[in-house]
Amino acid sequence: MSEHTELLKPLISDKSSRVRLSITPLTIIGLSLIFVWILIAIFATQLAPYDPIATNTEAKLQPMSSAHWLGTDILGRDVFSQIIHGTRVDLSMGIIGVISPFIIGIIIGVISGYFGGFIDSLLMRLLDIALAFPFIVLVLSIISVLGPGLINYYIALAIVSWVPYARLVRAEVLVLRKTEFIDAARVLGFSHLHIITRHVLPNAITPAIVFVMTDIVLTILLGSSLSFFGLGVQPPTPEWGRMIREGQTFIGTAWWVSIFPGIAIVLLALSFSLLGDGLAKQLRVRS
Amino acid sequence: MTTPILSIENLAVIFKQPSGDVYAVRDVSFELHKGEILGIVGESGSGKTVTCRSILQLLPNNAQITSGHIYLDGNKDLLTLTSVELSKLRGERISMIFQSPSTYLDPLMTSGHQISEGLQFHGNMNPRESRQQSIQLLKTVRIREPEQRVNSYPHELSGGMKQRVMIASALACQPHILLADEPTTGLDVTVQAGILKLLKQLRKEQDISIIVVSHDLGVIAEICDRVVVMKDGNVVETGPTRQILLQPQAEYTKTLISAHPSRFLNIHEHATHEDNVGGALEQPVLQIESLSVIFGYTGLLFHHLPEVLVKPLVQAVEDVTFDIKRGEAVGIVGESGSGKSTVARTIVRLIKPTKGKILYKGEDVHLMGTRNLLAYRRSIQLIFQDPFSSLNPRMTIYDTLAEPLRKHHICPDNEVDSQISELLASVDLSLSLKNRKPHEISGGQCQRVAIARALTLKPEIIIADEITSALDVTIQAQILELLEKLRVDMNLTILMISHDLGVVKRICERILVMHNGHVVESGAANQVILQPKDPYTKELVAAVPRMPTQ
Repeated sequence: MSEHTELLKPLISDKSSRVRLSITPLTIIGLSLIFVWILIAIFATQLAPYDPIATNTEAKLQPMSSAHWLGTDILGRDVFSQIIHGTRVDLSMGIIGVISPFIIGIIIGVISGYFGGFIDSLLMRLLDIALAFPFIVLVLSIISVLGPGLINYYIALAIVSWVPYARLVRAEVLVLRKTEFIDAARVLGFSHLHIITRHVLPNAITPAIVFVMTDIVLTILLGSSLSFFGLGVQPPTPEWGRMIREGQTFIGTAWWVSIFPGIAIVLLALSFSLLGDGLAKQLRVRS
Repeated sequence: MTTPILSIENLAVIFKQPSGDVYAVRDVSFELHKGEILGIVGESGSGKTVTCRSILQLLPNNAQITSGHIYLDGNKDLLTLTSVELSKLRGERISMIFQSPSTYLDPLMTSGHQISEGLQFHGNMNPRESRQQSIQLLKTVRIREPEQRVNSYPHELSGGMKQRVMIASALACQPHILLADEPTTGLDVTVQAGILKLLKQLRKEQDISIIVVSHDLGVIAEICDRVVVMKDGNVVETGPTRQILLQPQAEYTKTLISAHPSRFLNIHEHATHEDNVGGALEQPVLQIESLSVIFGYTGLLFHHLPEVLVKPLVQAVEDVTFDIKRGEAVGIVGESGSGKSTVARTIVRLIKPTKGKILYKGEDVHLMGTRNLLAYRRSIQLIFQDPFSSLNPRMTIYDTLAEPLRKHHICPDNEVDSQISELLASVDLSLSLKNRKPHEISGGQCQRVAIARALTLKPEIIIADEITSALDVTIQAQILELLEKLRVDMNLTILMISHDLGVVKRICERILVMHNGHVVESGAANQVILQPKDPYTKELVAAVPRMPTQ
């Protein structure tokens, strides 16, 4: 591939046309899907036909009908309304969950890669320690110490899931450190902080941003599975993972209780994956 | 006249691109005769490599040969062959060697395997015979101790040896035609001289015809009988080498010849700045005192550890002493690994010296405090080799130039715009480029931006580290001209680092020759080049390919 582009390079006289990639259809689809999810989360109260936590023992485990589009669960709560309200919880869980790992990971990665030497060894051993434990086991044990709940889930994530960001960014910075414009910036007498923020970070952050999209999906899935085990969001807050668990017992008779929240998780995950793929293509800068 | 062994008629190749088709080769015709060495010369984008690769149809997937014929022995059109026939032809009748042998040799194969692979594939030889044959071939390409080298992996061989192994594997099936695509680019001049000599010998011994593709007219002049000059996919001129070089007809050929740096080697007196030598009484601005740099040196703490535990030490620079006076242009010449770039980087404090001192106006650069260091940074600037890698790909040219102006408060904020216009004008760049990013402009333009950036701080001293070696010759000549102009206009002191004697000779009055970390010879440019004393300098000067003069 590189050999081919090498051959092509000089042939393109109009260099500007080469770089301005048009926005890929993937990005557009992903973005619009996420926009829809956000709208659903914002207007959940208006969109949901029923109160998601109002129980109705008269109408429990009802199949799909014009009154209850996606049926009802064991306590007679409307599944459709629960899914709509669950969007708020799951979407914010994914987005808030990746913020602190993203920031922590990038800071550690940049410092480690840029300064190298002893600092690098120290931070990378720290990373090895975090990496040595199976991810889910570590999250589970942190939560079992801190107690279940969303806040503790975020704390557990901050402790554990910065690792891939740090690795991605460090690898980029190690390559960048050898480029001449970083040397040029040092010769021009700029401070380390200035070089990092102005020259290193903007060029090293792309893979981390692409990974955020995947990580949001993983965070949502993990959060849902924690709720499934009863360690995440506590009832009666509507949350998809919790709904799946509650419907599990009746999967043979009332499949709609579990299946529809499952589909919701898949669709949300797909939206972010599409955006991630689109961004990966979009942000690839050729230098 | 006998039938040519290979003739190309009206070849045209296009590259299919999302933005439309681009012609790489438009209408190229030439002939290769038996036992001839034919050169194809041109700058990047001239289509020389594509032409050469079309012969064996080793083109990228989006390339398409739209018209033309390539006749072998006057009757067989290679473009009509099936892929089975082609693969039989490749290696057996026509074979090819490439630039940068390190990427074309399989790192997991010994040189013996590399060579015998072709023998076993085409010649159905058994392993023992082919090993014997490999040793024989290594002898042919003048590799010393072929019995040992046959078992060496690529990483155990030097760049020159790798190229020889590649030539040996290309010769394995006794082809009639050898295509050499930039066979010596990236190799040191002394190594290059060896490879060129080998190609000449092979032509005699093996009865082989060779096509050499190169950007370097010097290389072509050295070995080719006839030369094809290409530009933008067209043949500009064809003829016997001597005739083309001494009486070029086309304007473009004339430009290529006048831009070639080896031309300056023969000019006896230095054109300008002879008067600057008069300032010799002045105190030097920069003194380098017995500088040594050892890579991997960890200090006394780990010194007593056994060798397996510590990284091997590499002595990059050893006991280098010289000084630079105000307004002077000093050149450091050396091949790869000579330590010349390390000296430059130590001067600008990118690398710490292991021993020795660097004094700027009498003060030790590596002991400076923050305030003095900032002043020092302002007065000395480094320009790098790769113009693309030396600019931040995400910053526009305007931002690249504005950044140092603002950070160092060179001028009030409202004058930044006018300063940038002035800087761009001084490096002959159009102001309309200021909102472009580095990948949107050409290599030569990038290098001008890098020079402009170095000038933002109004430095006294400019260190130019191989600034022209990534550029085409005509661009190279323009950059050197610019550097000379700036030197006069801004009263700059220049330290020029290059592997190319011609480039250094063009700019500098004084030359230091470095070899394996030592300065082996230094003195006035004319003296070092025309009457070298040190044996290494003599070898270096002799190895530079030259063009014939009347």
